Amino acid sequence: MDKKTFKKVTFIIWCALAAAIILTAIFAPVVTGGVDPTSGTLTDALKAPGQGHLFGTDKLGRDIFTRVIYGARTSLTAAFSVVILVFCVGTLLGILAGYFGGIVDTIIMRIADMMIAFPGLVLAIAVAGIMGASIKNAVIAISLVTWTKYARLARSLVLKIRNRDYVAAAIVTGSKTPYMLVRYMLPNVLPTMIITAATDIGGMMLELAGLSFLGFGAQPPTPEWGLMLNEGRSFMQAAPWLMIYPGLAIFIVVVVFNLLGDSLRDILDPRDE
Amino acid sequence: MRQKKRILKKTLVLGLAATFTAGVMTGCGSSSSSGTDASGAADSASETTTSDDGGKTLTFGCQNYGAGGIDPAVETNQAWNCMRYGIGQCLFQFDDTMQVQPWLCDSYEVSDDHKTWTFHIREGVKFSDGCDMTAQSVADSFKRLFTDGESGSSAPEKYLEKEAAITADDAAGTVTIVTQTAYPDLTKNLAYPVMAIVDVADTQDYAHGTIGTGPYVAKEYTEEVGYTLTANENYWDGEVPYDSVELLYMGDASAKAMALKSGQVDLVENITTVSDLEELEADENYTVTIANGVRCGFAYINQGGILGNKDLREAVIQAVDEKTMCETTVGGLYTYGFSVLPSNLAYNYDKLSNPFEYNQEEAKAKLDAAGIVDSDGDGIRELDGENISLKFITYENRALSTFAEGTQQLLAEIGIGVEVNNMDSESEWNEMVNGNYDLCSSNWTTVGTGDPTEYLDNWYGKSTANYCGYENEEYDKLYEQLLVELDDAKRTELITQMQQVLVDDAAVLVHGYYNSSMISSKAVANANIHTADYYWLTTEITPAN
Repeated sequence: MDKKTFKKVTFIIWCALAAAIILTAIFAPVVTGGVDPTSGTLTDALKAPGQGHLFGTDKLGRDIFTRVIYGARTSLTAAFSVVILVFCVGTLLGILAGYFGGIVDTIIMRIADMMIAFPGLVLAIAVAGIMGASIKNAVIAISLVTWTKYARLARSLVLKIRNRDYVAAAIVTGSKTPYMLVRYMLPNVLPTMIITAATDIGGMMLELAGLSFLGFGAQPPTPEWGLMLNEGRSFMQAAPWLMIYPGLAIFIVVVVFNLLGDSLRDILDPRDE
Repeated sequence: MRQKKRILKKTLVLGLAATFTAGVMTGCGSSSSSGTDASGAADSASETTTSDDGGKTLTFGCQNYGAGGIDPAVETNQAWNCMRYGIGQCLFQFDDTMQVQPWLCDSYEVSDDHKTWTFHIREGVKFSDGCDMTAQSVADSFKRLFTDGESGSSAPEKYLEKEAAITADDAAGTVTIVTQTAYPDLTKNLAYPVMAIVDVADTQDYAHGTIGTGPYVAKEYTEEVGYTLTANENYWDGEVPYDSVELLYMGDASAKAMALKSGQVDLVENITTVSDLEELEADENYTVTIANGVRCGFAYINQGGILGNKDLREAVIQAVDEKTMCETTVGGLYTYGFSVLPSNLAYNYDKLSNPFEYNQEEAKAKLDAAGIVDSDGDGIRELDGENISLKFITYENRALSTFAEGTQQLLAEIGIGVEVNNMDSESEWNEMVNGNYDLCSSNWTTVGTGDPTEYLDNWYGKSTANYCGYENEEYDKLYEQLLVELDDAKRTELITQMQQVLVDDAAVLVHGYYNSSMISSKAVANANIHTADYYWLTTEITPAN
């Protein structure tokens, strides 16, 4: 197996695993056999794994297995929302800044600089704190601090080709600005942007779980891994399954998406060729 | 001759200086006792040295309330600290049935109109700096509350009116308080920690060095870390069992449990995580004592919102299985009960009847009958065409947020939506004051002064502390009678009736009564928690051997 096919095979494997995770999330009701993740019997609280509950139960008698599976829905939706949002906004603003330069560039980039001056998660906590705690606001908060990375990256990629002769030639021959942006600039930035987005999925998931853990993200009774970790925190010694399974879920999903991003880079990155 | 004079002068000056220094050191102001004070100081110095090598030390882990201050006049939490740490004491104290017992006062008299109170101060009581506690110093301590405590949250006027005339008679050893309004029982008010007797003449640093009459003395304070307390060498009531106490602040209940298990501390108060508590109870190396407290955990029901609908309110109360939540979900941290006053107090809990026992089927039937049904099939019932979504504000203290989540889960079963909003206590308080809620988690001391009048004010229609908009003519009438009634038996009767009114009106979602706990290692004996939550470090707690 040469290097190129090996890369392709690993990519396919990670793709399959990621697809499996996404499918599990979509078909959560089927996987869990129709159990409601937000209902439970109070008297069945803190049951150890086994005894009809694969992963045990939490303090309100809810089935942990069901909550972990449904948690994939919350986490995946939120993480993809963040990535898609910052990808679109960041790329658009970055291309505009790089292509037009001058005052447009200054305004966009100074705003980006301001956002970068804050520590990301701390700013996200402040934003989520002001807007009120909910998973939607957590997504907005993290997007607000992450878009700058995409904008700066897109801008630098545009600047690299902005003054090339073929760009100048296209403009001279009468290409309109929208056409220039879509057909010349966008294709140049897209591969790198996609790789960045793919490798960011795992990181975003961790940040969202972090916010939820701190109480600024998902609110009870939403099944969300970060929130479940927080709920299980005080039972760490007596009922460790409350933390082990959501923790394991975060670990597995983040690893899969990170490695998927890496292998995507191996395939797409033009520098290797 | 001249030289002689000079020497004489020098000796005089030296002598004066010595007396002056002694005066400053002891600072008691009374010249007669200065001699004994000096020897007392010397004694304490020698004692401290012996205790340095091989003295008995207790390590105590506790929550940091009121930013660690111990000034009774400034903040209620600080007043509690002062008493809990064994630094300050009151004229009276509460026993475990919340009856008042003499403490720094050994007898008292009251006039028939309940306006003139004469307290005889116990003889032989000294402040920890060695000064005598005189009638005058008691009067000064009370007067100081109104000068230093004016802007604080201690609100001393809640316990003793500002207009009261306080006079001391040192010869007779009595303090006389003449009030303008009649107090049913002022001794209960004077047992509240805010009314602790402190040495006004000598205390330099009230925040962290208040001088009281208790068994322990605040010696050193480190921000966010805790106190080093030493034994009060001048303690009036027997020997102090420990030479020093290392009091360490621990915010997290699990942290307290772990510190106890690792041997970092010998004694902790109130571990609120069920699992940790159960584990320690099962372990024979630790002693867990749990006391029926005087706190009630409940949720205010906002009458101004959707829960103004009585059928809905009744169904909510009936659909929530508070008994299981108390016993299982929060693992016995609360004792179940349906009235706003704890069942262990003498307010006739047994005579009350509960028309809304847990029964989800009945709750559903009630809602159906009232036309509160789910007509669009989304699993949530509607009222006036809108899905019911109750806003339950809560905070993470004494398992309150767990109750909120449990309530949410149980109400979902009868088709009532609940949105739990877990916030910090400050925000929760603001939301409550603004009436921006349907259900609001609360945990209140019911008989802080040995009497529930102030607590029952929360549902009085004309009260400023009525944050739930509850109004009931009968209740208001009973409350107004209670305010002027001086006879104990009649008061109890009124209070019993008021409780029943609240129950019948489905006015409060009562969770249960909070139990306090004290957990000690085998190195410590007799570490009991008291019903009144004001006494933590007492002389009862001794080394095991």
